[in-house]
Amino acid sequence: MTDQEEKKKPERRSAGGELILPIGALIFTLYYFYTIIDVPRIAQVSAFFVGIILIVLIILLAIRIGKEVKAGTADLRIGRLLEPKSFIPKRLALLGLTLGFIIFVEWLGFTLTVFAFLSLAMLLLSEGKRKGLAFGLAAVLALGGYLLFIVAFKTRFPAGPFEQLMEQLF
Amino acid sequence: MEFDPGIFIGLFARTFQFWWVILPAIFLGLVVGAIPGFSAANTIIILLPLTLAMNPEIGLVFMVALYASSRMGAGIPAILVNIPGTAGAAATPLDGYPMTRQGRGQQALAISFVSSVFGGLLATVLTLLAMPWLAQAAFYLHSREMIVIMLFGISLIATIAARDTLKGLIAGFFGLMIGYIGADVVYETPRGTFGFLELYDKVPLIPALVGLFAVSEAFAVIEGESILSKRGKEAIQKAGWSDTVEGVRIALSKWWHIIWTSMIGLVIGVVPGAGAAIASFVAYQQSRTFSKTPELYGTGHVEGLVAPESANNGVTSGTLVPLLVIGIPGGATAAIMLVVLQYHGVTMGPDLFMENPELAYGPFAAMAVTYFIMIFTIAPLARYMSRITVVSTTYMSPIIISFTLVGAFVPRQYMFDMYLALAFGVIGYIARKTGYHTAAILIGVILGPLLETYFLRALKMSEGDVMTIFQSNLGNVLWAGLVISLVVPYLLQCRRDKRAASA
Repeated sequence: MTDQEEKKKPERRSAGGELILPIGALIFTLYYFYTIIDVPRIAQVSAFFVGIILIVLIILLAIRIGKEVKAGTADLRIGRLLEPKSFIPKRLALLGLTLGFIIFVEWLGFTLTVFAFLSLAMLLLSEGKRKGLAFGLAAVLALGGYLLFIVAFKTRFPAGPFEQLMEQLF
Repeated sequence: MEFDPGIFIGLFARTFQFWWVILPAIFLGLVVGAIPGFSAANTIIILLPLTLAMNPEIGLVFMVALYASSRMGAGIPAILVNIPGTAGAAATPLDGYPMTRQGRGQQALAISFVSSVFGGLLATVLTLLAMPWLAQAAFYLHSREMIVIMLFGISLIATIAARDTLKGLIAGFFGLMIGYIGADVVYETPRGTFGFLELYDKVPLIPALVGLFAVSEAFAVIEGESILSKRGKEAIQKAGWSDTVEGVRIALSKWWHIIWTSMIGLVIGVVPGAGAAIASFVAYQQSRTFSKTPELYGTGHVEGLVAPESANNGVTSGTLVPLLVIGIPGGATAAIMLVVLQYHGVTMGPDLFMENPELAYGPFAAMAVTYFIMIFTIAPLARYMSRITVVSTTYMSPIIISFTLVGAFVPRQYMFDMYLALAFGVIGYIARKTGYHTAAILIGVILGPLLETYFLRALKMSEGDVMTIFQSNLGNVLWAGLVISLVVPYLLQCRRDKRAASA
């Protein structure tokens, strides 16, 4: 094939990513069926009805994508899911920070965790620019959140050093 | 329960005297409505010491005003940042958010507020006039009929799936399966819970909503500097009071749409356990079905915003009907009101209307006055709230993630719900990136358990006979309506295609 012919060839659609959700749905549906094998028929019927339709739909999608792959108009790469690739590190780091937020809130308490998460996430997304704004905004929002959610609405968030200190002071 | 104009005029005049209670309640309702997880019900529980200490009439006015305004507040983040404040506003971003991205956030807010206020006001006035007949609706709509009403809402999945039917249906049915997680209502058998005790009581809606809409959106928008398109950014920077006025004008020009979609909300609201989410999905679906331009829905279409907002505010007065007439609360907020009134020794039921009409009709008068006062908040709220959208995603995304995760924690106060919200965030992100509609998943998650509950009840009552769902006259009328509403758009589309081909 010459270079010109290669250029003329239409770009193939990355369809692999489109299969991630259906595969997850299929695994979950089979697991769900497994959990209702022994329950009375009345409690099974609705889930079996919906689950079987879902499986049929997933099979139809797989056939459609299979046909596209065979015709050369699509491939099984997961490109669309990751694009734009330049944002992958930032997105993964943000995901890590979010997970950290949920894990550490049990020990650090609401206010300190929100402050740490907001300042680090803002610094990450701004690539370290405007540090003062990031820390200032994070502090204002964390304190505002403390006053609104814990003081005003009495939400029982895990108490950390800050909340314990405030409780002793006031 | 007969209509007496004298009582009503006196009641409205009396309720206006409580403006000093209504105003702070409106403000509080708008705030808690706009924060996912902080519903009116939660707030009224928190403020119980205050409302229990009040005179029952004033306490009721306060609770009703907070309840009505929280409905309107829930639409604000749904329109501006694609995060519905409550499940009742889950259909609002379908057309509200695209309008914001086009730089028409101010107009969208004005349209939403006008639809909310006038839809709610109209439904309230109609409830006052037609209370005896509306109360009957709750007696006629049983499990079999409710199954069809649920299917009206679920058929919205097919509408959303219009661009890629197969993927849309997969998303919707996946949502339904997720909605089936938990113990069933008849035998209490845990199903699909992965062993988590926290899932025995079904998938909690707020973490699902926060994850699918807020967290996934926050991860997706970091690619751009702002959630607005380039044109949208220019438009919002130029926007002034004239845009708000234009939004109000556009919404008022859809007066007929506001009327009939708020009526859908009112009727669904009367049924105990139904609620704003079903009403808004059904209203959106019906609005699209009978529209001359169904293809514009989902792209920032005015009627697609008017319908859910009018309907979910129509629900508000509807939920109070069974509470006051038969003592059965139509929703969580109404249940808390019942507790407060019982604390004061007020007994619900028909006798209340004879013995204490001021208290019986009072909630509706309070609601009407609240909606009337809210008219004056439309312009300033729309004008200034829309400015939020110009905030850079660098700051917006972390704020959305942290505060909505907090919102996911609040209703049940389980740490598990924050992890669940993150898991839904990952599902939502994959769905967005690979062309599946997160709203279709959410419809399934919200309506799946309700559909199953009604279905199981119907089966249990008929001793397992599946055909029971076709053995009710009213149910069969609704089935016919459902078939018509699914077939008519298809036939209309065929006719349009034929005309286009021959032109």
